[in-house]
Amino acid sequence: MIYTLLQHQWKSFWRSRNAGRNVAIQIIIGFFVLYLIVAAIFLGFSFDSILSDAFPHQDVIPVFMGFILYYFAFDMIMRFIMQELPTLAVQPYLTQNIKRNQLVSFLNVRSLFSIFIFLPLFLFLPFITTTVSAKYGALVSLSLVVTIFSLVIFNHFMALFIKRKTILNQWWLIGFFLLILLVVAADYFKIFSFRDISAAVFMKVIKIPALCLVFIALAIASWYNNNIFLRKNFYLENLEKSTGKKKSTDFSWLQRFGTYGDLISIDIKLIQRNKRPRSLFLLSVIFLFYGFIFFKPENIKAGNLGILLVGSIFITGMFMVSFGQFLFAWQSSHFDGMMAANIQVKTYIKSKMMLLIFFSSIAFLLSLLYGFVSVKLIPILIASWLFNIGVHSILTGFIGTRNYKGLDLSKRSSFNYQGTGAAQWLYSLIILVAGAIIYLPFALLINKWAGIAAIGIAGIISLLMQDWWIDKITVQFKKQKYKMLDGFREN
Amino acid sequence: MITINNLLKSYNHKVAVDIPQLEIGNGIIGLVGNNGAGKTTLFRLLLDLIKADKDEVYFNDKDVSKNEDWKNYTAAYIDEGFLIPYLTPEEYFYFVGKLHNRSKVNVDEMLSGLAAFFDGSILNSGKYIRDLSKGNQFKVGIAACLIQEPDVIILDEPFANLDPSSQIRLIKMLEELNAKKPMAILVSSHDLNHITEVCTRILLMEKGRIIKDLKTSSDTLTELEDYFRV
Repeated sequence: MIYTLLQHQWKSFWRSRNAGRNVAIQIIIGFFVLYLIVAAIFLGFSFDSILSDAFPHQDVIPVFMGFILYYFAFDMIMRFIMQELPTLAVQPYLTQNIKRNQLVSFLNVRSLFSIFIFLPLFLFLPFITTTVSAKYGALVSLSLVVTIFSLVIFNHFMALFIKRKTILNQWWLIGFFLLILLVVAADYFKIFSFRDISAAVFMKVIKIPALCLVFIALAIASWYNNNIFLRKNFYLENLEKSTGKKKSTDFSWLQRFGTYGDLISIDIKLIQRNKRPRSLFLLSVIFLFYGFIFFKPENIKAGNLGILLVGSIFITGMFMVSFGQFLFAWQSSHFDGMMAANIQVKTYIKSKMMLLIFFSSIAFLLSLLYGFVSVKLIPILIASWLFNIGVHSILTGFIGTRNYKGLDLSKRSSFNYQGTGAAQWLYSLIILVAGAIIYLPFALLINKWAGIAAIGIAGIISLLMQDWWIDKITVQFKKQKYKMLDGFREN
Repeated sequence: MITINNLLKSYNHKVAVDIPQLEIGNGIIGLVGNNGAGKTTLFRLLLDLIKADKDEVYFNDKDVSKNEDWKNYTAAYIDEGFLIPYLTPEEYFYFVGKLHNRSKVNVDEMLSGLAAFFDGSILNSGKYIRDLSKGNQFKVGIAACLIQEPDVIILDEPFANLDPSSQIRLIKMLEELNAKKPMAILVSSHDLNHITEVCTRILLMEKGRIIKDLKTSSDTLTELEDYFRV
């Protein structure tokens, strides 16, 4: 029976309306997966030499064991963001002579066809079967392999469980991220060391190989838990939208902005109440932490202002990019209505600009916390913010009128290229090039700080010209409107 | 009210709408024709949602593609694309009301007048518009048009998606509206009985052209039935 259902899935993939595009995307993802596998195998075989280089005079095995829990913590987050819930349009099967248990098992089996299951094996097996095996023997390494595999299964079903829970209840999502944040913070501030725990746990498995049974039990428990949950919430898979009574809300603080406020509150609801924009925004929150990559002490000390600037623009512009890449396309499903409603085009565009500025300002305020890393960063962050609200927002408006591809708000965001076209890829490039054009001449001719000042001043000048810009965008929008309407309607 | 001069729209050299001259004044005007006759395309052209090849549509002597004044007094519902799917019906009504400077109290008052039409399944339903049935979405769309108290109403096949009681209520509502103040109500439909009952003037479309412009009389129904007889 499970086989038949798998066959149906196969058919639904190939016979779907845009099978061609699906295949193309799958091929791209396939290459990506292949790359990941090759990288994992390569890394797996070179752990020995990498670790002994990085940690000389130490036994590499405990060091290696210290990293395993990190991997699984990371794995959990990645799964949470990227892994798709296996869904089956259960409705046509419910009235057929198929046991519910069979459908539940199908969903579980189907979920196992995932790169996340195999990746850790490629990553960890080489080291375990060579280095560990050489020192402690085959039985120990077998026990370790079983342990790792059990952890993979545990993570797999745990992630699915939590994800399904978050669909039912938003608080699970917030709780999950808070927990992750707490653990990361605790590790970062050395309240407890993840590495020590990890090393201790897995060295114990090496000492007592039978301990792998505990992990097997954990994996089975997680599978069982998921099974029970699925059986109880069977209809969830395709009826997820109708859970809970929906309440009307109004943002009274936005009321004072008149029609702008009304339009902005609609956009905020769009983000809150639809899967795709919501997950995209959650992702952007993670990007706020990119500062730790860009704002390295060596970059700050060496005065690599260019890199710091790119980082600042990126961080203070993240929410803006998330929303701005589909500026008008977000409303593609009801663009007809927006255009026929009593909203002047200029008002509509200005509301979008205000929203972009609002997003950038929030990101800016949050990013000011990097001032604790170095005070030097603050003027750069201010300049970037001005650039984003002055120049970036206007460019976003112009680029938005060139996007004719609609999108479905209910689909998830990662690996979802629906509605994505050349415009999105070009978008980031245009912003970066615009920044470079302003920064480089001053940085090269005078000095780097002059370049930063130029970025900030360009932002202010552009911001003062905002009304003029909005008029230009409005003219452009009116010309492009029919093409956009046509494209959005096709979706 | 609405004037059309030399309106032409074609897709791939196939004419979708071709209307040399048409005046639409106050009253309830029906638009009939088989599928593909160009009814919806004409409505979209009126609302400036499609670019015409040659286009001259005037609302109160102002070109709709060059001036946005028409939005102040025109309400339309063509399909779900006119609704904001992730709002509750109430949120949507208040939003539309506010665009026309109607306060919440004002909107609530109007909605209470529509209670029978809603039949208890729209307000306080605890659902977003996207979760409503197609018929109820249509009711939301029509109600949103009425809240605006417009001078021009455009409804595309409103009867097709409504249950029989609601169809009869809608006819009554349109007639009352028309009696209360002079306005142009454009309604397309496949239901010849309803259309001849409610409309004072009926336009028959075929392949993008208006081939008959009838003032409704006791013979109109037979005339239309003769046309549609296969």
